[in-house]
Amino acid sequence: MAGREDPWGGGDGGLPPEIEKIFKNMSSVFKGGRFNILIIVAAVILAWIVFSSAYTVGVDEVGVIQRVGKYVRTTMPGLHFKLPRGIETLTKVKVKYVYTEEFGLRTLRAGVKTEYASERRYLGESLMLTGDLNCAIVPWIVQFRIDDPYKFLFKVRNVRLTLRDLSESAMRLVVGDRSVNEVISKRKEIADEVKINLQEILNDAETGIKLVNVELKKTNVPEPVQPSFNEVNQAVQEKEKLIYQAKEEYNKIIPKAKGEAEQTIKGAEGYAMDRVNRAKGDASRFLSLFKEYAKAKDVTRRRLYLESMNVVLPKLGNKYIIDPDQKGILPLLNLERGGEKK
Amino acid sequence: MKGLTLALVAVFLLFILFGGAVFIVDETEQVVITQFGKPVGEAIKSAGLHFKVPFIQNANFFPKNLLEWDGEPGQMPTLDKTYIWVDTFARWRIINPLTYFETVNNEIAAQKKLDDILDPATWNFITSHHLIEAVRNSDREMDIKEVGVDESIREVILKPIEIGREKIAAGIMEQAQPKLAQFGIELVGLKIKRLNYVEEVRKAVYGRMIAERKQIAEKFRSEGKGESSKIAGDKDKELKKITSQAYKKAQIIKGKADAEATKIYAEAYSKDPEFYSFVNTLEIYKGSLDKETWLMLSTKSDFFKYLKEYYAR
Repeated sequence: MAGREDPWGGGDGGLPPEIEKIFKNMSSVFKGGRFNILIIVAAVILAWIVFSSAYTVGVDEVGVIQRVGKYVRTTMPGLHFKLPRGIETLTKVKVKYVYTEEFGLRTLRAGVKTEYASERRYLGESLMLTGDLNCAIVPWIVQFRIDDPYKFLFKVRNVRLTLRDLSESAMRLVVGDRSVNEVISKRKEIADEVKINLQEILNDAETGIKLVNVELKKTNVPEPVQPSFNEVNQAVQEKEKLIYQAKEEYNKIIPKAKGEAEQTIKGAEGYAMDRVNRAKGDASRFLSLFKEYAKAKDVTRRRLYLESMNVVLPKLGNKYIIDPDQKGILPLLNLERGGEKK
Repeated sequence: MKGLTLALVAVFLLFILFGGAVFIVDETEQVVITQFGKPVGEAIKSAGLHFKVPFIQNANFFPKNLLEWDGEPGQMPTLDKTYIWVDTFARWRIINPLTYFETVNNEIAAQKKLDDILDPATWNFITSHHLIEAVRNSDREMDIKEVGVDESIREVILKPIEIGREKIAAGIMEQAQPKLAQFGIELVGLKIKRLNYVEEVRKAVYGRMIAERKQIAEKFRSEGKGESSKIAGDKDKELKKITSQAYKKAQIIKGKADAEATKIYAEAYSKDPEFYSFVNTLEIYKGSLDKETWLMLSTKSDFFKYLKEYYAR
């Protein structure tokens, strides 16, 4: 946490009073100054004191000062002075740097295309039991910062090992309460829960560590089981494909049928229009005719009859006019037909 | 005189520095002072500059911060006779340096003591609980596929958790703590780090997982077929519906038109049905008789009445 108010940030720059006292004592010794050799020795000692007193703290770190073993202050970035070596000792702690611990994988060479070590070698870390008593491979990383340098330095002997052990335990606790399906599909949820739990136990252990990120890498099932999991994925795809095909067929047939139905109806409507119009036409024609016919029935009948005969009779090919009194008409007809055939 | 005083001071300083009268205790350390091997006074737990009698007394440094213990991963059966590997770890600290100094003295011995106490305690707890109690920690409902899960397994994993992993670890700790107190050791936390099937069990579990997945895959496939058939059925039904509805509608329209036409004809022709049939028959003559037609007409017919007689009767 940049610029955090450090509760232990006691003294800072400037010469501590002790050093001034030493200077005074020194100068009183030199007043006698008959021995050049003594002056040289004094100068060397002075230089050593100055060099081991001044120190700089980088922007991404803090300096933790212990006076004869006891913690006295934490200093912020910049140039500072302390009592010379042997009295006050300095330990620099990078508080802004984000450290990463990997579980079930190791980065060999980070870069645009990061190379990882073979996962199989770290199966011990990543293979775990799920809540439905199956096995899953769960690789993950934990990113953290040193939040409290005092606790980090003094409260736990092996912080890194403690963090690793606690991470493994926390991850397995969360995974142990989940089915293998959830382990594979709900990585974010698991990572979030692990982060909360792990931070809690890290605080309890006074590690001085603040988690930045817990991230699950590609979770999977053990190698021998993987093909069967792929088969499930394949089956899901197959299912979707079948449904898609059926839907496609549906969409191909139904709109076409709808169009055809529309056509049938339109056809019927056309028929109806035709039928009614024709009826109206016929009726109108008949009525008009009838109107005039009614005025002169007999003569109209005769006229209509004769007019029709006038049309019909010329069209006919063979016409025979027979006197009902005459007998033996058939031989006559046969002769006629026979003659025609020649 | 002045030189003598200076010399005395120098000797005294040297004596303090190199005779071991002064010693520095780091923040991470605590010290037990011994005199001829026997502890003297209270343990020093505060960091800083401390004094002792040179030559006679000895300062024994012990860590004050949190220490680690890593259990030997061991194979053990659970109550339901499943063999598993259990790897535990613990954190501990020297709470009573005097007792610690007297009873164990150094860390290698302390680690051995921890092994001797924690490993059997772990064994006791794991072997007296079902596997599921050591794996799970709560009754959280899991997302389990409804098919494929072996019935016996389903029964086990759906049973409510009585204890859970954290409580088992806490139980181990509780059992071990009083035994460790006599060595001046405080057990801060014991946890199960790893818990896995042994190789043979693992193979069986893999087989089960594969069988499970195959069933799930089968289910998806048959679901796909089912869905597809359902859609095909819907399609057929819809098709029949569309065509029959169209037919129905068309017939209604046609029927109405026929009815209307009939009504129109009836209205018109009923004025004089005889005249209608006269006119229409003539029309039919015109339309249907052609040159293929043979017509035999009697001279007695109306048409030829004039042919025989000049003046028809």
